Amino acid sequence: MKSQSRSTLIRSLSLHAVLIPLALVWLFPLWMMFVFATMPDYGIFSPQIELLPSTHFIENVSNLQADTDFIRALIISIGVAITYTVLSVLLTSMAGWALARYSFVGKSLVIAIILGTITLPYFVVVIPQFIMVAREFKMANTWIALIVPPLFNSLGVLFMRQAFSMMPVELFDAARVEGVKEWQIFLRIALPLARPTMAALAIILFLASWNNYLWPLLINSRPGMMTAPVALGTLIGLTKVSWGGIMAGAVLLTAPILVIFILLQRHFIAGIAAGAVK
Amino acid sequence: MQLRNRAAYGFLAPYLLIFAAFWIWPIISSFMMSFQNTRINPWVFSPGANWGRLFTDPAFYNALKNTMIILVIQVPVMITLATVMAVLLNSPLLKARGLFRFAFFAPVVVGEVAYAAVFRLMFNLDFGIINKLLNSVGIASISWFSDASAAMALLIIAVTWRWAGYNTIIILAGLQSIPGDVYEAATLDRVSKLRQFIYITLPLLKPIILFCVVLSIIGSMQLFTEPMLITNRGGPGGGTETLGLFLYRQGFTSLNFGYASAIAYTMAALAILISLLNLWVGRDAK
Amino acid sequence: MRLPSLGATALAAILGMSSAPAFAQPTEITLWSWNVAASSLKSTLEGFNKQFPDIKVNVVDLGNQQVFDKTLAACAAGGDGLPDIVQFENFEAEIFWSRFPDCFTNLKDLGYTSEIQAKFPDFKRTELEVGDVAYAMPWDSGPVAVFYRRDFYEKAGVHPASVKTWDDFIAAGKKIAAANPGVVMAQADFNGDSEWFRMLSNEQGCGFFSTDAQSITINQPACVATLDKIKQMKDAGILTAAIWDEKVQSNTAGTVASQLYGGWYEGTIRTNSPKLAGKWGVYLMPSMTPDGPHAANLGGSALAISSGSQHKEAAWTYINYALGTDEGQIAMLKSYGLVPSLLSAEKQPFVSEPQPYWGGQAVWTDILGTLPKIVASRGTAFQTDADGIYKATQTKYFAGGYPDAKAALDDAANQIAAATGLPIAQ
Repeated sequence: MKSQSRSTLIRSLSLHAVLIPLALVWLFPLWMMFVFATMPDYGIFSPQIELLPSTHFIENVSNLQADTDFIRALIISIGVAITYTVLSVLLTSMAGWALARYSFVGKSLVIAIILGTITLPYFVVVIPQFIMVAREFKMANTWIALIVPPLFNSLGVLFMRQAFSMMPVELFDAARVEGVKEWQIFLRIALPLARPTMAALAIILFLASWNNYLWPLLINSRPGMMTAPVALGTLIGLTKVSWGGIMAGAVLLTAPILVIFILLQRHFIAGIAAGAVK
Repeated sequence: MQLRNRAAYGFLAPYLLIFAAFWIWPIISSFMMSFQNTRINPWVFSPGANWGRLFTDPAFYNALKNTMIILVIQVPVMITLATVMAVLLNSPLLKARGLFRFAFFAPVVVGEVAYAAVFRLMFNLDFGIINKLLNSVGIASISWFSDASAAMALLIIAVTWRWAGYNTIIILAGLQSIPGDVYEAATLDRVSKLRQFIYITLPLLKPIILFCVVLSIIGSMQLFTEPMLITNRGGPGGGTETLGLFLYRQGFTSLNFGYASAIAYTMAALAILISLLNLWVGRDAK
Repeated sequence: MRLPSLGATALAAILGMSSAPAFAQPTEITLWSWNVAASSLKSTLEGFNKQFPDIKVNVVDLGNQQVFDKTLAACAAGGDGLPDIVQFENFEAEIFWSRFPDCFTNLKDLGYTSEIQAKFPDFKRTELEVGDVAYAMPWDSGPVAVFYRRDFYEKAGVHPASVKTWDDFIAAGKKIAAANPGVVMAQADFNGDSEWFRMLSNEQGCGFFSTDAQSITINQPACVATLDKIKQMKDAGILTAAIWDEKVQSNTAGTVASQLYGGWYEGTIRTNSPKLAGKWGVYLMPSMTPDGPHAANLGGSALAISSGSQHKEAAWTYINYALGTDEGQIAMLKSYGLVPSLLSAEKQPFVSEPQPYWGGQAVWTDILGTLPKIVASRGTAFQTDADGIYKATQTKYFAGGYPDAKAALDDAANQIAAATGLPIAQ
């Protein structure tokens, strides 16, 4: 018995001996982001090794604000991400519900399309999509162009479909017997039951929209409408730019989502892991 | 029954409408554009202008080669690392589990632009913390942005940092879904943990790991933001130009939409090919 | 469909960012520019608004590549989303006129008369005009010079006047590095740019394309000699790789002894490294032979008005003030060192004044003195294709992928021919 606990101790020690350095390496870029954001530019570009934060965060934020209107970009990003998330959860839930609970002509075709688009690189679509939205629909620099095209989301539909098909069928049949309308069954019974799944999906979608770079970069050419990642991206490579400011922007971009991650870790992990559970 | 099922169309309509409006036409249009010479006004049908050029263009082969290097080096390294992380995180002996999970999973939520900026600063030639640390242990500074191999290494490091945690989450979920009694018999038979891992855990995880491989391959094929922002548009001199960036350059810098579409379809074909290959590997196991 | 912009305005108002006073209705025009060019435009606004108080000019600094990308995207989208005025680099400008002939306004319709056109040199106008249409007005040019650290050169006993050839430059570089530990002679952006090749080949009368834009000349002997020389400098260790922002950081940190760039780099050094006043100087670029040419052009921009602009007259009024008057051009030269291409501005007294930052050297006399000797070099509509191919070739050549510079540039020429359909000059 004694040797067993000793071998457990050794195993535990070696486990942590591997994991602690690995975790430190993994945290290092995040830590440096935070450190850079608090440093003046002469500190970032100094010959010494600087690993501890300084006191210039507020100054860097105001430098950033002078380089680009970042507060406005953040507000736009929040608005876009929330709108996108709400609409996308609703649309994918409806589609997932239809595919999980009804049999209808064309169902297998729809499923084939959804599966097909998962393997299709987004780049196949992006150029004609851009030309079409901008030139044919004349919708460049509109919120609709920013939010609507990315609403087509295959993984979300499969995720919701999975959740709905696992619910006991008796639940819905009982309601039907009582003459409840289909959309009411969906809204009043199915959706509330799917709440954990929707929460997980919502976080993933919010994250995707929050960090989306290519589409907003292309479709929004008006500086006043830039989302936060695009606004920050324009600063990288400029000459007279405050790197401390860029780092402060990176922190402002990352911190909220990290807080969400910490608070809602369970849903978050469920959302990502869902990709694997078929 | 028929009447009830008709409701399905109502539920599907908005979703399919967006698909029809913003996706179907682009997919078809992209295909047609790839057969047109879009360098001249107006465009004319000329299949050789793009498809003929593609297979003789050294820049295409360069981008393909770079993408393949990332596929062959980065994906296995990352998946191995993610598996190790997942197994270690799953250990019942682990203390401060939440902290470790935070360390490995946090990069997943960091935006590409934010992390690109940090990596650019960290790997700066004269003032970057990485070169300073290398110098302090007696290694000469590495020119991360000007040397093609170093730039490729930097790209691989960056992408691995960002995406390993994502795969760890998926693999960890897979590990946790393996019922404990599978191991019980083995433990009673005094089979070592390592052998348990190789002969029990890995085979059970195989489908999930293959799934991660496919996701990572599709992701690597489309790699764009990192070489765009970290290594300066695929620099040095195309040394880290991926297929995604090559397409962007042809489409949005040289404005050759037809050529860009041909590249896009080649990428799609490659992605489908690799996915099929994976299905075949997965099936072979059973 | 324009509901969104209403939302943005409301948002701006809530945040207190709305700048329009309630009592006046000034015309507001927006302009996309980058880096010091954007800053220098801002320096003209005071003088401009004294004459035209009703026109508010909003200069947006988006960075060089972003302006290019966003303008292309907006033109591809039919012109929607463009600002009133856009800055173009001359050598990339033809891409826009050839692919999107309707994206920008003919300035002649707004008052760009032949008298005004005659105030600019011809070599600045060729890339901006197609037949009878003048798409843009010339702004600055980029006569190349060597910007150098007086103290580093002195310490090594190198006199800039003695650096006549690139071989002298290599020899001087070795001396300077030996005398100043940690200092490199010069830097080139081997990562994302081709600026050294473009400067040196232009000096030698060569370029990617012929001046009539009808053939590819990148593998002509003068270009081959240029690439060969750049490799020699790199192999000698006197020319190291640094991207644009690393160069600026090195200037400030004092780890580089010289930078080769167009005259507009004066403002970049002076405004980014203010503490180094008196330590920098300027001399003419070396050549292949002592009596060879010592003049080249790099960069130089122009301003154009978008077809979709709602305030074309106001935009033209501003362009004509900033670029077409001595007052506007000299304001930009003073503030950020943008070299005027307006011929009359060169005769302004400021040009011959000694500059305190530059150790009392009258740098503008020296730099502008090379202007008449510059050989025109044509960007053409295929500039980005050729530049991308050149950069890849250069990287491969440096890595030992070709036996010699001739083989490298022959390969580049073939690739450019495949991408553009143009013939290779014999």
